[in-house]
Amino acid sequence: MNSTVATAVNARIRERVRSIETLPTIPTVFLPLLDLLNLPPDKVKLDEVVKLVSYDNTIAAQCLRVASSPLFGLAKAPDNIKLAVISLGLRRVQTILLTCCMGNAFPVKNWALDANVFWKHSLGCAMVCQKFSEKLGAADSEKAYMAGLLHDIGFLVNCMVFPKEFATAVSEAAKQHIPLYDAERAVMGFTHCESGRALAESWNLRDDMVKAIAHHHDPERSETACPLVALVHLSDLLCRMRALGYGYYERQKVDLAADPAWAVLLKEYRSLAGVDLVRFTFELDEAVEGISGLVSTIFGGAAGKNSREGVSF
Amino acid sequence: MTTATQTAKTIASPSKSSEPVDPVYRQIRDLVYKVSGIYKSEEKLYLLVAGCERRIKQLAAKNPREYWDHLTAQPSRDGELRQLLNEITIGETCLFRSPPQLEALRKVILPEIVGEKTKQITKRLRIWSAGCSTGEESYTLAMNMLEESTLLLKGWTIEIAATDLNDHSVETAKAGIYGEYALRSTPDYFKRRYFLKVDEKKLQVQPEVKKLITFSRLNLQDDSRMLFMKGMDLIFCCNVLIYFDGPSKSKVINHYFTNLNFGGYFFLGTSESLLNLNDKFHLVHFPGAIAYWKPSLKSGQL
Repeated sequence: MNSTVATAVNARIRERVRSIETLPTIPTVFLPLLDLLNLPPDKVKLDEVVKLVSYDNTIAAQCLRVASSPLFGLAKAPDNIKLAVISLGLRRVQTILLTCCMGNAFPVKNWALDANVFWKHSLGCAMVCQKFSEKLGAADSEKAYMAGLLHDIGFLVNCMVFPKEFATAVSEAAKQHIPLYDAERAVMGFTHCESGRALAESWNLRDDMVKAIAHHHDPERSETACPLVALVHLSDLLCRMRALGYGYYERQKVDLAADPAWAVLLKEYRSLAGVDLVRFTFELDEAVEGISGLVSTIFGGAAGKNSREGVSF
Repeated sequence: MTTATQTAKTIASPSKSSEPVDPVYRQIRDLVYKVSGIYKSEEKLYLLVAGCERRIKQLAAKNPREYWDHLTAQPSRDGELRQLLNEITIGETCLFRSPPQLEALRKVILPEIVGEKTKQITKRLRIWSAGCSTGEESYTLAMNMLEESTLLLKGWTIEIAATDLNDHSVETAKAGIYGEYALRSTPDYFKRRYFLKVDEKKLQVQPEVKKLITFSRLNLQDDSRMLFMKGMDLIFCCNVLIYFDGPSKSKVINHYFTNLNFGGYFFLGTSESLLNLNDKFHLVHFPGAIAYWKPSLKSGQL
């Protein structure tokens, strides 16, 4: 797509996104939370986080359920928010809260994409981003988690704003076993990266999140080859190759180390060269069951079952 | 390394328990991975525990911690690890062991190889099942290739070389007779299409399938024999290298790399890793499957 066409398309999407009344409003505590996440950890106050978590009863209850998932590594489920914050750490509770907010911002109705599949992919990618950045010794793995969680919000915009066209794209992708963004481009002329960017901008998300949402399929295009975008790109690919994809067979061969994003990340983190990708993949497999459980806890109402398997990821 | 299927039936299958696992077993899991490349994930950890418990009983060790000493201290170390590896890979062999691997093979890899070889006059696909044990993998590959012989591989010659160190295994493989346990994952369609009934409990592979395969005895450490296995498009070597020490493993893997055509693929077992023993192969992911790729010349990635 040349730049004039791209600008026109982006303007059109932004127009549609703005004019739609059903567009999810940003959860009240979302932005203050993201702001807290951007502060240096020693500047964040315990009470502030507890207050934000407790702001909405439903969300607070959800947070406690999620905090008891084995994926977050607690031996015993915390029974109040303050205890959760103390035992899990401020940052972790913030990301849990954000995860719950996301679930509430997009209620499930008539999705073109299976909601369960979508959340499993998003949450899976969030976890992988976080673990990956921990392995690299990156400073802020919770931010990586957020970027992973939000990277595909454009799909939700497409479900709500362009339901017909998007449904066609989804079924074409599954029929032809091609990546969803290729089908989106062919059917709609744009992808969830553009519509996700429109939503992220209308929500006033910070620049690094917007970039991760807009460029996770072409990280090399991101103005400054940004390690966070590269990380999301690689984690997304890995998830799609390991039972955390879009729910259909993608006829793809993925060579992560030969991907341009790998070079971007390697430049920033020399430790990437020493990461055992095969073992990382096996560890990801172990987390799939836990992620499914978490998805039903957060996004599938109270029916969610938490399994105590798969503790190590 | 081929006793697995014979003993499998005699061992009661251990079941998952909800009791927390002694942390020493996770240590053992990591040790096994470091030495052999076999990773027992959380959901398969109970198999590792059961294997260790059998060894603990045989050695009359007092507890898992004492067994850890057997695994780490000389002189018992190497022998004991081998024993444990035997225990935990028991019963792993069967036909259609890894459907995602077969799917990747038929949906992604074959179209790629056929595309690259399209200009060659002789259309020939060569596969090596290295450490074929009693033939389960070799026949699975042969049947799947036969399925493609009217489609993607129309007009192609398919050759499968299946080798193992153990004479007895090679003979069993040649017979191609399998019971329910080995056939537990084989789809009914394949059972009907490619097998003959021997008796109530056993099926034998049809001659049409056998024709594709040459079974023979081969020692992977025999360098001169290894040099003859050239021109392979695909090499499968499942749960065999786990018994080799580092240097011999490296040597065998180098042979595999040399024996593969450019653009060819090397497969290990589904929970097995090459560790970091070779940096010429590219690790590639397919949905649900991992392989090692020798880049094609035109990809410029060598």
